[in-house]
Amino acid sequence: MTDVPILNIKNIHKCFGELEVLHGISLTANPGDVISLIGSSGSGKSTFLRCINLLETPDQGDIELDGQAIQFSTNRAGKRTASDARQVQALRSRIAMVFQQFNLWSHMTVLQNVTEAPVCVQGLSRAEANDIGMEFLEKVGIADKADLYPAFMSGGQQQRAAIARALAMRPEAILFDEPTSALDPELVGEVLAVMRQLAEEGTTMIVVTHEMSFARDVSNKALFLHNGLIEEQGEPAQLFGSPESLRLQQFLSSTMN
Amino acid sequence: MMFESFLQTGFGQDIVILAKPALFNLYFAVVSIPLGFPLAILFALGKGSHNKIISLFSRAYIYAFRGSPLFIQFFMFYSIMLALNRPLWKPMGVDGFILHPLFLGPLVLILNTCAYTAEIFYGALKSTPKGEIEAAQAMGMSRWNIFRRVTWPNMIRLAWPAYTNEVVFLFHATAIVYFTLPVINEQKDLMNKAGELFEKDYNLFLHFSVAGLYFLLISMALFWVAGVIQKRLNRHITGAKTISFRLFPRSRN
Repeated sequence: MTDVPILNIKNIHKCFGELEVLHGISLTANPGDVISLIGSSGSGKSTFLRCINLLETPDQGDIELDGQAIQFSTNRAGKRTASDARQVQALRSRIAMVFQQFNLWSHMTVLQNVTEAPVCVQGLSRAEANDIGMEFLEKVGIADKADLYPAFMSGGQQQRAAIARALAMRPEAILFDEPTSALDPELVGEVLAVMRQLAEEGTTMIVVTHEMSFARDVSNKALFLHNGLIEEQGEPAQLFGSPESLRLQQFLSSTMN
Repeated sequence: MMFESFLQTGFGQDIVILAKPALFNLYFAVVSIPLGFPLAILFALGKGSHNKIISLFSRAYIYAFRGSPLFIQFFMFYSIMLALNRPLWKPMGVDGFILHPLFLGPLVLILNTCAYTAEIFYGALKSTPKGEIEAAQAMGMSRWNIFRRVTWPNMIRLAWPAYTNEVVFLFHATAIVYFTLPVINEQKDLMNKAGELFEKDYNLFLHFSVAGLYFLLISMALFWVAGVIQKRLNRHITGAKTISFRLFPRSRN
């Protein structure tokens, strides 16, 4: 059992109309992995991440969670969909996601945001969920904002609330979709600090990011995507230290200076 | 004493005489609005449905009732109901009920307001922030829970100003109910009664002004209620302190 990866994703293809965005991407995430997906915009990083929890349905390829494959079927129009809605919901409740635009529920307070899914999806009592919620708000350093609505917080605080919302599900892995890209430069640090701490504690994370120093220092695996394919992958030290492909060299020299 | 002499004036007399008819207009609105509301939600979701038949049916319904005058809808419905009297209502023994203006009036008003409200809700449904829905999906929430907990609160907030308009319009539309449906005994609304007073002394201005005053007063109450709700729906944006509608405040733990 110890050998089974949390996520085993094989050969993902995705088209939007005529445009093929992903040409077959595979990835394996073991417990404790912090995997960075880097690449220029349009390379398919975010689409790939959204395929993992089926916010986008891959046109080809398989997704295995703890060795269990997600079931797909093809409808009469030739469109592929996940065939078991409950299985999809189960997958999503075990693999949390943090978005670029935070996507907090604006009509709920921070604590309500954090406790919503534990109550609604996992069936926790309100009291249990509140305890867990406060614990994670404490962890990301915004316990004092528990009763505020998102509109009254800074972007950095909102993103930390979104991370607490993901953590409150006690997921097996967390997907981060450019978590600092929508933030003012001076607010990026506080979010990265939280993510660094999570990584140190052994949280399994897959991170789409433009923060090269985070990818280099924190992750134990990095993938460079180009035009919907993995151009290069490996340990960050190797990837950033001595990139083999010309494209990665160009990409790094344009982002690192 | 002043009050009694006020009641002796033509204005005072009209206020007393038109009080009961005002209740009929209020009745038509109060019955139609709460019943049209949930139906409108269904038609709004129907219009947005991926199922082609449900979507087409909802669109056709909304188009028909928004595309034709309420006045004609009253005539159409009344004549259809009358035509069905002999084959249907009478044998079933429900003719007195079905053909009664206090039943037929709200029925047509419900069908009408439902279409307008559905269109308002549909627009709000389409404007609900996509990211918030995606976040709910990504948490593994079921479709029903996503609607109940995320879509609906956004939708009703976005729809509220336009819906307030519709409610007031509908209340004013109750003025034409008795232009098509028969008046039974003294069951008269503001328009009937004001017309009746007018025929006695031809004082058009006085009688219809007082009728109008009743519409203004009731509208003011509607605006006030709508405003209180509006304030509450937007409290997460404005930070306004608002009245809680919860009978038993929920404790944190």
